[in-house]
Amino acid sequence: MTAQTGAQAGDEQVPQDGQAPQYVYGVTRADASLPDGATGLDGKPVSLIVHGPCAAVVSDLPQGRPLGERADLIAHQGVLTALIGEGTTVLPFRFGAALTGRQAVQDELLATGGERFGEILDALQGRVELRLKGSYVQDTVLREVMAGDPQIAELSARLRSIPEDAADAAYYDRVRLGEMISQALQQRRDAEGQQLLERLAPGAEAVVARVPAREEDVVDASFLVRADAREQFEKSVAELGEAVADRIKLRLVGPLPPYDFIPDN
Amino acid sequence: MSGPIAQQTSGSNTVQRGGSGGGLADVIDLILEKGLVIDLYARVSLVGIEILTIDVRIVVASVDTYLRFAEAVNRLDIAHDGTSQGLPQFLGDAQESGAKKKTRGALEGAQERLKETFGSGDDDDKDDEKKTPARRRSRKEDDE
Repeated sequence: MTAQTGAQAGDEQVPQDGQAPQYVYGVTRADASLPDGATGLDGKPVSLIVHGPCAAVVSDLPQGRPLGERADLIAHQGVLTALIGEGTTVLPFRFGAALTGRQAVQDELLATGGERFGEILDALQGRVELRLKGSYVQDTVLREVMAGDPQIAELSARLRSIPEDAADAAYYDRVRLGEMISQALQQRRDAEGQQLLERLAPGAEAVVARVPAREEDVVDASFLVRADAREQFEKSVAELGEAVADRIKLRLVGPLPPYDFIPDN
Repeated sequence: MSGPIAQQTSGSNTVQRGGSGGGLADVIDLILEKGLVIDLYARVSLVGIEILTIDVRIVVASVDTYLRFAEAVNRLDIAHDGTSQGLPQFLGDAQESGAKKKTRGALEGAQERLKETFGSGDDDDKDDEKKTPARRRSRKEDDE
C-alpha cells in the first residue's frame, strides 16, 4: 500500500478497477448479505469486503469534492438503516471513514480489528437501538411553573402590566424571569426525565441518556432492545406516551444502528 | 438507497415516530459523533479526503433563551387566574412583539448557518416548529 496520505481528493490519477479509495459505512458479519441494489454516497454501489469473521460495508469514495453535504450524511445513514431493516446487525462507523482501497480495508481494518469487531457484533447480535426524545408541551408546563413558584408568577404579572413604551426598561427583568423559568424547567426535567427512563429501562438491555439539547426537552435517551422484545418496548413507550400526553410529547426514533452501544476503544 | 434514514415502525397516536417526520435531525449527532472510528484500530493509509467541518449544535445565547421563555409565559392565556384580562392582555401582546424580534433574529441566524451547511433548510425541531410548517413538510422529500 503506497502512502497517499495528504493527497487531495481531486488530484489523484484515475483509479484502476478495485483500486478506488473506499468509504466505510460499517462492519457486519462475514455471512451477512446486502439489500439488493444498495447504494451509498453519490449513488455508488455498496459492497462487502470479507475477511475472517467480519465484513466491511463499503462503496467507492466520491472523488474531487469534500464530504459532508446533507446528502452524504443521509447516504451514510441510509446504507446502515437498510441493513438494520433486514435484521442485519451492523456496527456503524462514524461519518467520514475511508481507506485507500479494497486491499487496505482488508489488511488495515479487518485484519487488525476483526477480532474486536467480532466480539462487539456478538454482543449486539439481534439488538437494535431505539432513541426516545421527549419535550414538554410548553404552555402546560409553563403554567405549572408559574403556579408552583410565587416569585415567577409575581414577576410575570408585573411584566405584563408594563406598558409597551416602557418595555425596554424592563429588559433585565424579562431576562431574569426567563432565567427563573429556565431553572425551574431544569429541575423538573431532571426529575421527570429520570422517571421516564425508569419506566422504560426494564424493557431494554441498556440505556444511554444524554443531556437534552433544548431546555424544554425532558428526555433524550437511547435504548438497546432485543429484536424479539421490540414490540413490547414500543408498546410500553406508547402507553407511557398516552399517560403523559397532556404534558410531554414523546418521539421514538429507530430502529437505528447501535451507535450508542459500541464500547469505547 | 431511498428509504427513510430513520425507519418508521408501528406507531401510536400519542408517540410520534421518527421515520416520518424526524429525518436527519434526529440522528445527525449520532452520525457525526458516535460510531467506530477507523484510526483507533489501524494505522491506516487514510485517503486524503477532506471532511467539511460541521457543527450541528445550534447555540443560542442563554439570554435569548431566557427572553424566549419570558415571552412564552407572557403569551400564555392567563385569564383563568383572574388577575389579567382585557387591556393588560392586549398590552402583553404588543410587548411581546418587541421581544420576539430579537429572539427570532437569533434563532433564524442559527438556522441560516445550518442552511449553508446542508444546502437545503435543515429545519429540525431544535427551535421554531410553528414558524416553518411548509418547510417541515417539504423536508420529507429531501430525506428520501
